[in-house]
Amino acid sequence: MNSRRSGGHPRVETLALFARGDLAWLERRDVTRHVRHCAECLHELGEFRAVVEELRRGASAGLPPAVESAGEWSRIEREMTGNINVGVAAGRCIEKVGVHRLRGWRGPLVIAGLSVVFIAGWFLNMPHRDTAQILSAFHSAWRGAQTRNGTIVQTTATGIAVRTQGAMLTLLHPGATDVTVSVSGTASVGARYVDDETGQVTITNVYGQ
Amino acid sequence: MRWLDVEFPHDAPISLVSFSLGDSTTGSVRGTSLALDLHTSLTLRNSSLKSIRGLTLRVEAQDLTPNGKASVTVPSLNAAPGENFPVRVDLELLRPFNTPRNGGALVQVTLDGVLFDDLSFYGPDKLHSRRSLTVYELEARRDRRYFQRLIEQGNTAKLREEMNFGLPELRSPQLGLELLHDPRSAARNERPVSVAIVSFPDAPVQMLNGAATIDKNEVRGPEVDLRNRSEKTVQNIETGWILHDENGRGFMAGLLPAHIQIRPVQQARVHENGVLRFSRASGSPILVDGVTAFISNVEFEDGNWWIPSRTDISNSALDASLKRTLVTSPEQQRLTEIYRRRGLTALTTELKKFVK
Repeated sequence: MNSRRSGGHPRVETLALFARGDLAWLERRDVTRHVRHCAECLHELGEFRAVVEELRRGASAGLPPAVESAGEWSRIEREMTGNINVGVAAGRCIEKVGVHRLRGWRGPLVIAGLSVVFIAGWFLNMPHRDTAQILSAFHSAWRGAQTRNGTIVQTTATGIAVRTQGAMLTLLHPGATDVTVSVSGTASVGARYVDDETGQVTITNVYGQ
Repeated sequence: MRWLDVEFPHDAPISLVSFSLGDSTTGSVRGTSLALDLHTSLTLRNSSLKSIRGLTLRVEAQDLTPNGKASVTVPSLNAAPGENFPVRVDLELLRPFNTPRNGGALVQVTLDGVLFDDLSFYGPDKLHSRRSLTVYELEARRDRRYFQRLIEQGNTAKLREEMNFGLPELRSPQLGLELLHDPRSAARNERPVSVAIVSFPDAPVQMLNGAATIDKNEVRGPEVDLRNRSEKTVQNIETGWILHDENGRGFMAGLLPAHIQIRPVQQARVHENGVLRFSRASGSPILVDGVTAFISNVEFEDGNWWIPSRTDISNSALDASLKRTLVTSPEQQRLTEIYRRRGLTALTTELKKFVK
């Protein structure tokens, strides 16, 4: 492992990345093996995990001022659009490079080889959580593409949602423990719960048509 | 850009006193989209001369989900003329950066309907809230009468049982749902099934038979044949649907409303297009093995309604958890919460508020 201290322990930053689930597969395996037998690193890891949990709780309760204001949306959007444009322009610049050298059977062979290297590199280096999220996004996009009008109503982990081409409106039931979901017709999903704050029974619905 | 607009018609029986965005209202970047969590608390005033029993607010994000909308309904209200009452709207918007903007607020909240204590209704009723609010109110009256009677008889053992005290967990399992309008039909491993029927002896409409198509965790095109055995013309009917998984366990799936006119003694067929895809709350699919249907409520042409009595439900051929699901109206849920948190005295006081 390239991230060891002189005593054979993982570096502090490696433990921090491990606590966040951000290590690549090989490093993750090494750290897992090490902390099984090292009380000192296990203790340090426990402290990192506590900090990570605290940060998560903090993140759900508030937001850095940089993205709090709706006025910042335009800036973020401009930045992202700019980045995409730079990428597209770069792609156009290099699209003709090497085209003569990849004729015939050599072209597909090179692409297949590069694909193997890319896939192997991906699974060895990317945190498995990110891979799972990306695969899940592809799966959702595929299922969404199969519907006729592109509008789906569904239950989610936090509420009930209506989804159209990447956009989603979700009615949440925060803090409710006893939530009953049901269909109402073939175009609407509903959720019923007692609102913790007001004590009122609240029934939310999303409609797909 | 404004986040939220609340607009009621000038002649609406409610007015907006104030609204506030909670501390937990946040925005964040998620992939190529912006995720906005809105936690809104509205304070509304009953500006009419009658008590309000329930209302439905329509929630839309027009430029984001033009084909989709949402609603927040609060039944079992008891808001006297001039009284203020709170309504919470908690929502999340996931907005891709490339979505064109229309210049208005991101979320529009409007009024779909208000139900008064004399069962009169105000509102555009685009989401058919008149029907659902009326059924909730009729169930609420039925259940308040029932609990009032138990208290008067001193039957606290039965009351505790109804409030789910000291009993094993009898709640029906939670569902995950997805509704699709999928053009593909009969292309895969679909199989037709006949629908089992639960009869209530006093129901004015009899269910004769039913059918649906099942494919793993999907139910397609459910339909039932009905006969009006009353002397009045029926104009709206809601059928309740129960799913059974491969282990025979029942899940209350929901209600299918139908606007259909059936004259006395006549028969009619109610059919629903679309695909209902079911999973457990954990996300794993439910392999649907059978379907059961029942009459949930009926509206007659003369404006009268029928809902099953508590005796109808308790005498039905359903298992205990499904009976409990059917009998647990929004009002029973609210009263149970009062009893659990504040005890019998608070429940008695609450029930007295509705006695005229």
